[in-house]
Amino acid sequence: MNLSYSDEQNMLREQVLKFCESDYTFDVREKIVESNYGHNPETWKQFADLGWLAVPFSEENGGFNFGPIELAVIFEEFGKALVAEPYLANVVMSGSVLESSSNELAKQTISKIIDGTTQVSVAFSEANNGYNFHDIETSVEDGKLNGVKTVVLNASFANLFLVYARNGDKPVIYLVDANAAGVSVNSFSTVDGQNCGDVTFENVEVSESLIISNDSDASQAINAMLDLANLCICAEAVGGMTASYLKTVQYTKEREQFGQPISNFQVLQHKMVDMFMEAEVSKSLLFKAMLQLDGKDDEASKTISGLKAQIGKSSRLVGQAAVQLHGGMGVSDEMSIGHYLKRFTVIDALFGNRNYHLNNFSNL
Amino acid sequence: MDINFSDADNQFRQEVKDYLENKYPKHVKEKQNNGEQLTKQDMIDYHKSLYEQGWAGYNWPVEYGGTGWSPTQIYIFQEELGYANTPTILPFGLNMVGPVIYTFGNEEQKKKFLPDILEFNTWWCQGYSEPGSGSDLASLKTKAVRDGDHYIVNGSKTWTTLAQNADWIFCLVRTETTQKKQEGISFLLIDMKTEGIEVKPIITIDGDHEVNSVFFTDVKVPAENLIGEEGKGWTYAKFLLAHERFGIAGVPNQKYSLKLLKERTKDFADDDLKKKIADYEIELSALEFTELRTLAALANGGHPGAESSIIKIKGTELQQRLTEMYVEAAGQYILPYEGPEGFNSNNTPASNVSDFSSQAVSRYLNFRKTSIYGGSNEIQKNIIAKAILGV
Repeated sequence: MNLSYSDEQNMLREQVLKFCESDYTFDVREKIVESNYGHNPETWKQFADLGWLAVPFSEENGGFNFGPIELAVIFEEFGKALVAEPYLANVVMSGSVLESSSNELAKQTISKIIDGTTQVSVAFSEANNGYNFHDIETSVEDGKLNGVKTVVLNASFANLFLVYARNGDKPVIYLVDANAAGVSVNSFSTVDGQNCGDVTFENVEVSESLIISNDSDASQAINAMLDLANLCICAEAVGGMTASYLKTVQYTKEREQFGQPISNFQVLQHKMVDMFMEAEVSKSLLFKAMLQLDGKDDEASKTISGLKAQIGKSSRLVGQAAVQLHGGMGVSDEMSIGHYLKRFTVIDALFGNRNYHLNNFSNL
Repeated sequence: MDINFSDADNQFRQEVKDYLENKYPKHVKEKQNNGEQLTKQDMIDYHKSLYEQGWAGYNWPVEYGGTGWSPTQIYIFQEELGYANTPTILPFGLNMVGPVIYTFGNEEQKKKFLPDILEFNTWWCQGYSEPGSGSDLASLKTKAVRDGDHYIVNGSKTWTTLAQNADWIFCLVRTETTQKKQEGISFLLIDMKTEGIEVKPIITIDGDHEVNSVFFTDVKVPAENLIGEEGKGWTYAKFLLAHERFGIAGVPNQKYSLKLLKERTKDFADDDLKKKIADYEIELSALEFTELRTLAALANGGHPGAESSIIKIKGTELQQRLTEMYVEAAGQYILPYEGPEGFNSNNTPASNVSDFSSQAVSRYLNFRKTSIYGGSNEIQKNIIAKAILGV
């Protein structure tokens, strides 16, 4: 057992950290969020140039063959800086599904994700299935795809959709062009400044060559994607919690009331210690989950469920306390602190919230 | 990073299992698994069996007779012991005064005390708290006045765990009244058989006799029993507290108790309890990895510092939550009171199902102590605020 990051992993962290500090300040981020749904093509190009879009892909697909640990490193730093670029939707989620496919089309699509020229989103959620992601109505009959997918992340910018559908009794994942006849996107900005959309497929012609994954491989690909995506957003939340408590400590040292810095008050000190502890124990559980996933441990899915449940509770505590201790400033949109709370709230809601995962953990 | 155990680690785990199977005293095992109270002799037998195995100093350096184990080995050792429901290793000698002596003591003291601590020939207790000095420990008043080759000690200590069994007590005493109260404190080792020492039991709310008051009246202590320098006791005390907090969370024992609780509640139609158990289990695993992270930092040359305060706070909160869930699960059957001497009747209540019912409430009440001792959890938060957050 070894719980130290490798030199390579530390260098990756350093690189992401430096980028966020110099090129992705909160002001820059706010402009991107306000003008373009959290996505800036120039930033995305920088990601591609830095090689970040290639991180989890195998070498034969043109990637670095990195795993969950490196992704968690990147997301922890993204979480600190509130990075809103669609890395999760493209590299993690679509990447995970495509990487598991043996279809040559998947390979070609990966290379276009890596060079940053194409964006891909997985369309799996539906209006009536809650978190039961395998309970789907979208179906293919006689080569025509029909159905409505909801809360598709980054739908505004996706050039391609990986659509989870049923072909008779069997689950299938198709790769569908966003411009294909019969595809329509109704997109929304999300509560945390990114975007998602409902994607409607109406008699969209899909040939067999577009099948990325079939039968039990398809449902397993979705499960594997959900595990990895959950791990990544939990790492993001850990980064966000760390930033939240550090910013709060800083703020309370500067803010004076009753003739002294409010950080002198024990009731606030203990609140900040609570925030610190929640961030740390969450980080510990993140270690366990990412190491298990990396080692393909049978328990990994269960641990990730546990992690997601823990993050739901811890990040709510940290996010709320950070706003509370910033007082009126905490509820001002111009301050970054409230944006962490928004992101935590979205993270909890994605891919099964705390209640869902607590039940899931209990039943596994 | 790698979560897997090496072949050597797995072989080591097997060694621990072999000890538990063959050398862990059978009479102790039986009592533990039946939830019966252990006698002083049982505890001595258990510790001596560890000594004979060469494992008493499981976290000591080799040069003082310790194992020199890696953090991973310590983890495996504690985990297997926990799974086997062994008694808690008494910390007073092995985890508290021992490390203080080998770190700050002189050669004579090391020779005189360390072998007996390892071999469990001496039972130690801790003389820190006083009636007027709890969280504000540095305000302590027990006085040691130098008189030739001796110190004359007067005062009293309280909440002294298992002082009724102890051969020796390590004490924080005031050797000087200084402007800064921390500066006049010294660290003194005192033989409990010395004239002028009186031990009086304190019965806690679970009905048990675990802690005591210890009174000192003109107790003559050889000056050679002073550890380190006079007036530097506070430094040694803080060192000891950081070590004490380490392992205080009892994660392996909690895992064992959790397993029992899950087995015994699996047919309950109580989704709320199931969710609580799941939540607790998740947090326990987070705590376990927090401990592992700290161990890893130690192995890389760090010291157990304020981070150990997280483990103390979270660990004791979880211990308490576990005891609460046992009480909830037992429902009305907690009522018949089983004290240390058993039920107040010749019969066992029909509703009694081992520690699941009658002992659940005793443990719940007893475990209120955990967030108070070793520096209350509020004090731990002060430590983290100051040392880590810098406020």
